[in-house]
Amino acid sequence: MTWRIGKVLVAAVLGVLASLPAYSGPMGFKDSWMAMGDFGPNWKEAFANYALTPRDAVGASALSMRSDDGLRNRQLLEATYTRLLQRWNMPESQANIWFLGGLGTLTGNDFAGSKTLVSPGIQVDYETTRVYASALARLYRAEGINHDFLSARVGFSFYEVDYDEVQPWLIVEARRMKGLSDKTEITPMLRLIHNRYFVELGVNNSSQVRANFMYIF
Amino acid sequence: MKNSLKNTLFTMAFAASLAQVALPSFAATSVKATVNGMVCAFCAQGIEKRISKMSAAKAVFVDLKKKTVAVEAKDGQTLDQKAITAEITDAGYDVVKLETVEKSVAEIKAELKGGK
Repeated sequence: MTWRIGKVLVAAVLGVLASLPAYSGPMGFKDSWMAMGDFGPNWKEAFANYALTPRDAVGASALSMRSDDGLRNRQLLEATYTRLLQRWNMPESQANIWFLGGLGTLTGNDFAGSKTLVSPGIQVDYETTRVYASALARLYRAEGINHDFLSARVGFSFYEVDYDEVQPWLIVEARRMKGLSDKTEITPMLRLIHNRYFVELGVNNSSQVRANFMYIF
Repeated sequence: MKNSLKNTLFTMAFAASLAQVALPSFAATSVKATVNGMVCAFCAQGIEKRISKMSAAKAVFVDLKKKTVAVEAKDGQTLDQKAITAEITDAGYDVVKLETVEKSVAEIKAELKGGK
C-alpha cells in the first residue's frame, strides 16, 4: 500500500516535470467560499470549501462515479481538507503544489452497506497569463476498493485580456481512474474566465459532454 | 438696478467662497503595488475583494499585464501600506514594490492602458 502510494505520487511529480502540465487552485483566498462542479455521464462531483487561512481550506464533497458500461456505480460523501503546500509567485507566472484530502463514506450498487473511504492526493500546477498546465494524482481507497485517479491538463489562452474582460482558453484534459473504467478519457474543453466566474465545456473521446465550473463567494 | 447688480455679485462671490470652505479639493492619492504571481483574473479577484473592504479605499484597479494593483484613498484619508501588503499576501500573492503616487486610480489606469 505504502509503496503504491509512493509510486502514484512520484508518477504525478514526474509527469509535471516532464510536461509542466486540474483546475486553477482548488481553494479561494482567505475567508472566501469556493464552489466547484465537474459533471459528465460517468463522473458527477459537487464540492465546496472555505479558506480558513491563505493556505488551508475545509469543505465537503459529493461524488457519483459510474462504470463505462453504466452497470456499476459509486456514491461518495466526504469531508475535505485542502492545503497549499508551496507557492511560487514569479513576475510572469505562478506555480503551486497542493495537498487534497478527504474522508467519507462510500456506497455502491455492487456491495452492501457503506465503506469508509480516504482520498489523499497531490496537485501541481503552473500558469502564466497565456499557458496553463497541471497534474493531479488522488487515491480513492476503501476496504476492497481502489479507484485511484490521475489527470493532467494543459492549455493556452487565445489572447491576453484585461482583468475585467472574458478570457477564453483551450484546455485538454487526460484522466484515468482505476476500477470503473479501463479508458483514458481525453477531453478538449473551452474554458472561459471572467472575474469570479470560471466555466469549462467540452466533449470527451467517448462523445460525452462535460461541464465544469468554479465560483468564489 | 445698480445696487441690485452689486448685491447679486456680492452674493455670488460670498457663495463661491463658502463653497470653497465647505468643499476643499484634495489631490488624489493612491498606492501602487507591483505584484508577483498575478496571472489569472479568477485568482486575482481576491485582491480586489479584500482591498475594497478597507475603510480608506475609494477605488481599486488590477492590471494583470502590468502586474499592478492601484488603490486610491478616500478624500482626507491615508492608506495603510502595511495593511495593503497584508491583504495582497492573504490573497496569495507577493508584493515586490509599493509606492505612493499623487494620482487617482482613473489616472493610473489611463497611464497603464496608454503604455500598452
